[in-house]
Amino acid sequence: MSAIKELENLEIDLQQQLSQEVKKLLESWEKKKASYKGEFYSYTVRGKEIKVENYVESLSHTKIPKILLPRFKDWGEIVKWSMQENVPGEFPYTAGVYPFKRMNEDPTRMFAGEGSPERTNKRFHYLSKGMPAARLSTAFDSVTLYGEDPDYRPDIYGKIGNSGVSIATLDDAKKLYSGFDLSSPTTSVSMTINGPAPMILAYYMNAAIDQECEKYIVANNLVEQTEKLIEELYRDSGMARPVYLDEDGSNALPEGNNGLGLLLLGVTGDQVLPQDVYNECKIKALSSVRGTVQADILKEDQAQNTCIFSTEFALRMMGDVQEYFIAEKVRNFYSVSISGYHIAEAGANPISQLAFTISNGFTYVEYYLSRGMKIDDFAPNLSFFFSNGVDPEYSVIGRVARRIWAKAIKLKYGGNERSQMLKYHIQTSGRSLHAQEIDFNDIRTTLQALYAIYDNCNSLHTNAYDEAITTPTEESVRRAIAIQLIINRELGLAKNENPLQGSFIIEELTDLVEEAVLTEFRRITERGGVLGAMENMYQRNKIQEESLYYEQLKHSGEYPIVGVNTFLSSKGSPTVIPQEVIRSTTEEKEQQIKNVRSFQERNREKIGAAITKLQDDSVHNRNIFASLMDAAKVSSLGQLTNALYEVGGQYRRNM
Amino acid sequence: METVAPYKTTNKVRIVTAASLFDGHDAAINVMRRIIQATGCEVIHLGHNRSVADVVSCAIQEDVQSIAMTSYQGGHIEYLKYMYDLLHEQHAGHVKIFAGGGGTILPVEIEELQAHGIARVYSPDDGRHMGLQGMINDLVEQSDFVTPNIFAANLSTAVAERNPAAIAQAISAAERNDMASIDFVKGAKQSPVLGITGTGGAGKSSLTDELIRRFLADFPDKRLGVISVDPSKRKTGGALLGDRIRMNSVSSPRVYMRSIATREANVAINKHVGDVVKILSYAGFDLILVETAGIGQSDSQITEVADVSMYVMTPEYGAASQLEKIDMIDYADIVALNKFDKRGALDALRDVKKQMQRSRTAFNVSPDTMPVFGTIASQFNDPGTNTLYSEIITLLNDRCAVGWKSSYSISEEMSEKIYIIPPERTRYLAEIAEENERYDAYVESQSDIARKLWQVKSTVEMLKK
Repeated sequence: MSAIKELENLEIDLQQQLSQEVKKLLESWEKKKASYKGEFYSYTVRGKEIKVENYVESLSHTKIPKILLPRFKDWGEIVKWSMQENVPGEFPYTAGVYPFKRMNEDPTRMFAGEGSPERTNKRFHYLSKGMPAARLSTAFDSVTLYGEDPDYRPDIYGKIGNSGVSIATLDDAKKLYSGFDLSSPTTSVSMTINGPAPMILAYYMNAAIDQECEKYIVANNLVEQTEKLIEELYRDSGMARPVYLDEDGSNALPEGNNGLGLLLLGVTGDQVLPQDVYNECKIKALSSVRGTVQADILKEDQAQNTCIFSTEFALRMMGDVQEYFIAEKVRNFYSVSISGYHIAEAGANPISQLAFTISNGFTYVEYYLSRGMKIDDFAPNLSFFFSNGVDPEYSVIGRVARRIWAKAIKLKYGGNERSQMLKYHIQTSGRSLHAQEIDFNDIRTTLQALYAIYDNCNSLHTNAYDEAITTPTEESVRRAIAIQLIINRELGLAKNENPLQGSFIIEELTDLVEEAVLTEFRRITERGGVLGAMENMYQRNKIQEESLYYEQLKHSGEYPIVGVNTFLSSKGSPTVIPQEVIRSTTEEKEQQIKNVRSFQERNREKIGAAITKLQDDSVHNRNIFASLMDAAKVSSLGQLTNALYEVGGQYRRNM
Repeated sequence: METVAPYKTTNKVRIVTAASLFDGHDAAINVMRRIIQATGCEVIHLGHNRSVADVVSCAIQEDVQSIAMTSYQGGHIEYLKYMYDLLHEQHAGHVKIFAGGGGTILPVEIEELQAHGIARVYSPDDGRHMGLQGMINDLVEQSDFVTPNIFAANLSTAVAERNPAAIAQAISAAERNDMASIDFVKGAKQSPVLGITGTGGAGKSSLTDELIRRFLADFPDKRLGVISVDPSKRKTGGALLGDRIRMNSVSSPRVYMRSIATREANVAINKHVGDVVKILSYAGFDLILVETAGIGQSDSQITEVADVSMYVMTPEYGAASQLEKIDMIDYADIVALNKFDKRGALDALRDVKKQMQRSRTAFNVSPDTMPVFGTIASQFNDPGTNTLYSEIITLLNDRCAVGWKSSYSISEEMSEKIYIIPPERTRYLAEIAEENERYDAYVESQSDIARKLWQVKSTVEMLKK
């Protein structure tokens, strides 16, 4: 009896040592398990109750649970699992940020961009045909990526519309996304642009606002009246109105494009609608647009080099954009996609990719906080972007990223649940594609996509097998999309949404990679934080060393690559040389030059005041994004870039 | 693969390296330029995203034999042909162009480019067969010639007209000790010379670039010559002339810039710098900047050619006693304490001023009056750099009686940095790691307690049964 008494005392003592949250966790464990066992699981999002089926039935009538909890009985295991793993949608979000995957929307997001805005618009409509949601991802040509205008100068001319779409004006942006309702919750647009990101974003937002104006005009039977107004505006100027013109020189819209966004080509909504109506349309558009702009200047300086402004000025503009987002309630658009992809493509191993990327993310957090923004106001506007190769660490990259982020935001920065959720896009590794035996590339991409989908990525691009040698064709892109669709819709195990949890190796890798990332955080701290380390080119040098290590092992054959350094065909698996490469046509180049020049000509008298206001805001350290939004209505990309060089300074290259 | 020995040059070979316009892929060209340097060449590296005009004007001003380009972003046909044509147009057809772009340049395009006159476009297969050193040997061997004297007897006139190719050739003649060719510069009235030296990594070239930008804006009709000296490697004879990559302002048509290697060991300055100054003076440049690499004791050689000399350092020199070892604090007219946003900058400013006061035995004046300026060259329109610039112009006016009227006024304010990350916050990543580990330890201990509790509870239940 006294033994029991002693034990009971011990029990009371232990009870007291247990924290409240852990007590609650233990108390609710069985209930939590039960909630995934019934037919439906229900939860609330922004005040709305959502009911989700807990099972998917296989052809054999087996009920496959979407979310499985461990079979632990030991409270120690239950506590540890709940606090380090937990179910998807609960802190520390190791298994995923949402309780369940989105229904009616696959994570598929395919990168595309080629030639004129019209040609890319056509490709966008082709890619989203039959998809429940339009998830567009925009590749810009290098002229645009460096913030300049198309021009006849030969070193510029050859690059117009190659490896991406040429965008130099608001009209280009309107054409590019025409036929997609930019305010619809089922449209999500990603834009891969960094140096001139604020300007391209301003074009995009203006395009969305003008679409909203167009919808208002149509709904209120004002189309005829508006057309007349525009005609008058143009008659006075004596200039021709810009038009949507496809590569065959026809004005016909591609299949799927209903023309939304083209009514106000050549004008802006505020020229044809009363100011109060325009403002309402603006508020509606800004609060509805959904998407991402890459705009990650830190990784540009560390790895990819599409910097155009001094790093400090570029960072300041990122802060300006975020502040504007908060003020204008742009809630569904990510102001930055903090990217490891380019760090990995430049040669970093998965641990460095993760460590550098997340450390860049925390640098933005620190900067925005130092500008007086509140963590819960901006953290939900941050998103991430990683590469997935075939290394073992890639199987847990999302898990580790989510866990580190959630812990830091909750414990160090005191952010709320929405702020703690790290959402990320995956692109399969371009570097893992080889120019030999290019058919094998789809196999690599499939495995990488599987890693990504099992790890609950929020968005996924699968590379086409021919990307190592050329610009992908419709056929190769279709196969790349099929990879995702087959995993998402056919692969039985993928019906379960936490297939990685409970695996010994996955848990071990998660801990190892997390620890390695934290070690890297300390190394960066020793160098004065991310910016201090960048000054001494720490990240860049480390990326180069790791790249060299890979090349050495690949060269020696120690790192096997099938069809490249082992398992060669009887012909030796030669490098595949493409017969021809898809390049932009002369007509497209000429059209882009002509369009930007007539745009400049049309706005010749308006640009002065807009630029003066923009520069004045900048010189006086005011937020420049509002005046950039206005200047973008009347200025070409090159004009904006050069105006900002004068007040912000050009990027200074490093060696 | 068998190792190929580096080619041995008979002439001093100078090569411009760069990546194409709107092209950030600089990994390959960085590997190549290192091998070119190790093969004994002087490399002027421009880095990524370079227009044809940038590269061609650099090639001409630097009087190089060749240009080595990479292009991975498309548009290479137009880019390289334009480069070739522009070189010919500007009487520099002797400059050879070499290029590479991996698989992005198709075999038929290589043929087309070589037929147009591009010396060679290396394909991935060339890389496989020749090896890196083999490719570089091929490139350097084809570049191993003396650049032709295109002006002959008209050199002096062309230099006086500030033809950049002529100035470049005159400087090359001086470097070859061919004094007869530049005899005409004797007796030219020397233009004011600003000497800039400092330790590596102090941000010297960024600060120089910022000063050039201000000068060009301040005096819209004045011209500037820039001489930048970097050390030659004793082992290979090669040199990395790396200042141009940091200079954004030198693309102005009012600037001529020449990068030169010391071509001697243990010196900070090339023995022909005096001749180069004469050539640029003869050409009528209003101000000449001479920038040299700080390599210790020899830094003060700069004062031999400069009317006004400036020493660039950072607050990170260690203990104040280290300052006593810096020769240039004794010789410099001005000290720029760059990277003034670093921790301890204000202490450093005071210490350097005191050291300068001791050196000048100026104990009757306050150390505050010593010409030491805190600057942040990386910050656009940095007020500290504005103050420094004004002080330099004042000194040049005093020393050289040039009578320049600057519209930059000296402000008393210190350069107040707008921080991205405030200095006291730079430990954020370590704090995150600590917080993370604290949480893990907490989870571990709670998990242990929960386990024990479960065990005790179960035991009690068993005993009670």
